[in-house]
Amino acid sequence: MLPFVLGMAFVLTYCVVGLLRVIAQLPKDDRKQFWRSLVTPKTAWANIRDLFGDCLFHVKIWKRNPVLGYMHSAIAFGWFMIIVIGHIMLFTLKPLQNVEVQGFEGMFTNFYYPIFYKFFATETPVFAFLMDFFLLMIISGILIAVVKKIYSKIVGVKRVTKFGLADNMIRFALWTIFPLRLLAEKTNIMGFWWAYSIDLCIFMCMLPFTRYMHIPTEALFILLRHAGLNAREPRKGYALAQIYSCPSCGLCIDACPMSVNDKNSGNTSAYFMKKLRNADDAEAKRIAETCLMCGKCVMVCPVSIESCDIKFSQRAAVPYNINSDHSYLDVISTETQRSGEILSNNNKVLYFAGCMTQLTPKIMRSMKQIMESAGENYDFMDKDGGICCGRPMLLSGKTAEAQAMIAKNTELIKKSGAKKLVLSCPICYKVFKDEYHLEGIEIQHHTQYIDELIKKGKLKVNKGEVNYVYHDPCELGRAFGVYDEPREVIENVGNLKKAKSEKELSICCGGSLGSFNLTQQERDEITENSVNDLMFNNPEQIVTACPLCLKTFVRKSPVAVKDIAEVVVENI
Amino acid sequence: MKENILIIGGGAAGMEAATQLQKMGLTPIIVEKSEALGGHIAQWDRLFPAFHPAKDVVDQMLEQVKGVKTYLNTEVADIQRDNDGFHAILSNNEKIDAKAVVLATGFDVFKAERKQEYGYGIYNNVMTSVELEKFFRTGKDARINNPKKIGFVHCVGARDVKVCNTYCSKVCCTTALKQACEIKEVFPDAEVYTFYMDLRMFGPGYEDLYLKTQKDFDVKCVRGRVCEVSEDMDGRLVIKAEDTLFGKPLKMTLDVLVLMCSMEKNKSIDAIQQKLGVANNSDGFMQIKNMYLGMNDTAQDGVFVAGACTAPKSLPDTIGEARSVATQVFNYINR
Amino acid sequence: MDFGFCLSPSSHVKMDTVDLTTFNRLKETNPDINTCIACGSCTATCTAGNFTEMSFRRILLMLQRGKEDEAKKMIQRCMLCGKCTLVCPRGINIRKILLDITR
Repeated sequence: MLPFVLGMAFVLTYCVVGLLRVIAQLPKDDRKQFWRSLVTPKTAWANIRDLFGDCLFHVKIWKRNPVLGYMHSAIAFGWFMIIVIGHIMLFTLKPLQNVEVQGFEGMFTNFYYPIFYKFFATETPVFAFLMDFFLLMIISGILIAVVKKIYSKIVGVKRVTKFGLADNMIRFALWTIFPLRLLAEKTNIMGFWWAYSIDLCIFMCMLPFTRYMHIPTEALFILLRHAGLNAREPRKGYALAQIYSCPSCGLCIDACPMSVNDKNSGNTSAYFMKKLRNADDAEAKRIAETCLMCGKCVMVCPVSIESCDIKFSQRAAVPYNINSDHSYLDVISTETQRSGEILSNNNKVLYFAGCMTQLTPKIMRSMKQIMESAGENYDFMDKDGGICCGRPMLLSGKTAEAQAMIAKNTELIKKSGAKKLVLSCPICYKVFKDEYHLEGIEIQHHTQYIDELIKKGKLKVNKGEVNYVYHDPCELGRAFGVYDEPREVIENVGNLKKAKSEKELSICCGGSLGSFNLTQQERDEITENSVNDLMFNNPEQIVTACPLCLKTFVRKSPVAVKDIAEVVVENI
Repeated sequence: MKENILIIGGGAAGMEAATQLQKMGLTPIIVEKSEALGGHIAQWDRLFPAFHPAKDVVDQMLEQVKGVKTYLNTEVADIQRDNDGFHAILSNNEKIDAKAVVLATGFDVFKAERKQEYGYGIYNNVMTSVELEKFFRTGKDARINNPKKIGFVHCVGARDVKVCNTYCSKVCCTTALKQACEIKEVFPDAEVYTFYMDLRMFGPGYEDLYLKTQKDFDVKCVRGRVCEVSEDMDGRLVIKAEDTLFGKPLKMTLDVLVLMCSMEKNKSIDAIQQKLGVANNSDGFMQIKNMYLGMNDTAQDGVFVAGACTAPKSLPDTIGEARSVATQVFNYINR
Repeated sequence: MDFGFCLSPSSHVKMDTVDLTTFNRLKETNPDINTCIACGSCTATCTAGNFTEMSFRRILLMLQRGKEDEAKKMIQRCMLCGKCTLVCPRGINIRKILLDITR
């Protein structure tokens, strides 16, 4: 039984050291927040729920793909139950009373007796049935895994992560553990027991160096996640826990819009986490800067790894050397275009079109018509060009520089006396929501604003006959869950058709400012794929709510592409 | 020898090819989808570089093509090929057998709405070069109301990967300067600006046209691409461009903005083209066999091309190609 | 051979001695850079250019004419908003190039 004990000792030591390391690396305030979260009833309950739900039953995988869900929970839950039952037997049947165990080995009996129970004692029929049942359950899970390895499409997975030698070896070790145990138990041949023990040792000794490290790490990650932490450095503390929690399952590979070109599937989050883990900084940096930051990988991740945040911190860790100088912003002041009249405090709504919307005058024109038709008291904030919202600067990892723009825009907005700020660009919306401190001012994207105008009866629209499909912009949908408002607006003015992938699964248009590295051609491939997905139900027009998506789709779409505001104006 | 030759398209290329083929003793048949022969050129007022009336040229061509069998308001619905030649079914259900096919389907004008930042279809006073030409022909356009400042934007839908057209549309530079002179003739007090990247005045008499714009018409050429158009409080257009020679961004208020729209392949022929086995080149126009000696030939024997269906072309280019395609067809029939 | 004396430095760009290291490095990762037709769209649309001197078109020229320091100074004004990349008729990844210059 020695190999097993060695393996167990090694892996436990490794985990404890790792745990201490992660906690030590957390920034002080984060650590405090973490301890506090453990005793807060609400987060404690969430912890317990997710520890069982995710680690044992893999609820999230079940939701995405029931076959894979069964595969994971069969192995994890089955294994867990076998250990638990082993212990129950140990303490209820007390088979050890007749066995003399002394000294060093005696300290570990409670560890290994349940694992090798049959070697030492016989079970009662009920337990025997339970043990065999769960063992078979595990083996059925392993069979699915073997099939998946040979032909992944059969379980609905197109692309799988490519693994190195160590990962392939440990997988083989994992697959053989339980058949060996079955053989050993049924034949009671010493050689099989040894093989079983050595196999367990190999598995546990390799565990820290392979993707299976996610099994112990995920528990810690769940606790940290519920504490509400943010990854601040790409390879330390919280991020480190996430890196080791990534099982390299590759669900994000199929989800990633870049994977439309096989060459780019190496730029997906699964590989990013791997590069970080292997301390391949150059590659991690390159992938972080190639990513569109659409957030779909985070959405589909069964472990809920916040890979976009880590990419963000990776960008910030190696920032570009532009010594930005935005001092010219200080002297900008507002001039009103209406001579003599100063921006009055009665203006309730301030409209900020944003840089991208300057290139889509139809959106601005439509917003103007909508606000006029609704009898709103409004002002345009950047009719003659404004100041960038700061999000693109943040995306390049330069937080301090973005603050200069945020501060100036905040000043201008507060000076206007507006009670509501309406934005047309989801990129702006994201940063205004996350980073701006505009107390007393409601921030809305124009989809929400129009929806509200219609619901309040301020804006009267007619229902037309056109069949539309709606594209969810990443920074409106996945980032803030604004899925229903635009759909309700569209249903008020026409018929809404479904896209193949919708809402949290919608495919980035390819134009995202998030990526720095993608070439025009690579972006075009993503766009074509996204358009095809939208055209699934043969809509007559594509509707989106982002000027950048609009400009991107127009190039490749077989049908007209419009902003939601345009569509509404056509039906006033 | 009375062999049928099916000519698809009754514009300049189709008419001229038909005229020549008839003179060679063959039987050309023109199928034209619109209600009249003449194509785009019949919509034009005057031609560069010498301000020659387009009607004059079109009338001459119409006169020559009189004896040719012509289907108007008709399209080729289907076409098959066997050892005897081509068998076409027209949209009026008539059947035509022919020994050879000439594709003279010409071009479409780039849809200016696709460059939303130029504001066509959004702001009243943004118009296309085609619409301006119509104004010259008819003298009527509600948007042109004694303008004081007029701007021309070159390369709209050309040399622009953002609309997937990377090619130069060849004739817009010369057309812009021609139209700039003409609008000065109508409104002598107006200021006329053109926003260009390169003035490609490549043909005989074209450079003289440029000199004329400078000496006689005082057309102001600014080297820079207009990138944004907006409207001011009075409904006038405000454009932004960089004056690249001066090295500063510039802003200007205009009464009328004219977009020099590029030529794109006429896509209404795509289905038939596919049936005939003629591919497109990377610019989306029809693929010719060889740029130097096979500009009328396609990958398919017996299928010939002429005019702007293979690339943007001026009228003289097109006429030249129409005449050469006639020779090619003649040689093919007598091979 | 000795041509005798010459006058004090002229105002010419000295193309014989221009250091193209940075530009050539950029060219390797961004081959599109040479397709620029100097149309000035990037400059005209520039959000920062609305308030201050900022012109990507000129930055490219500066790098090719030995004025790297000036170029780097100009880049400091950039807000990285990406409008230039969106309007560029050549599809040049301007934002990326701007960032790469200071690498």
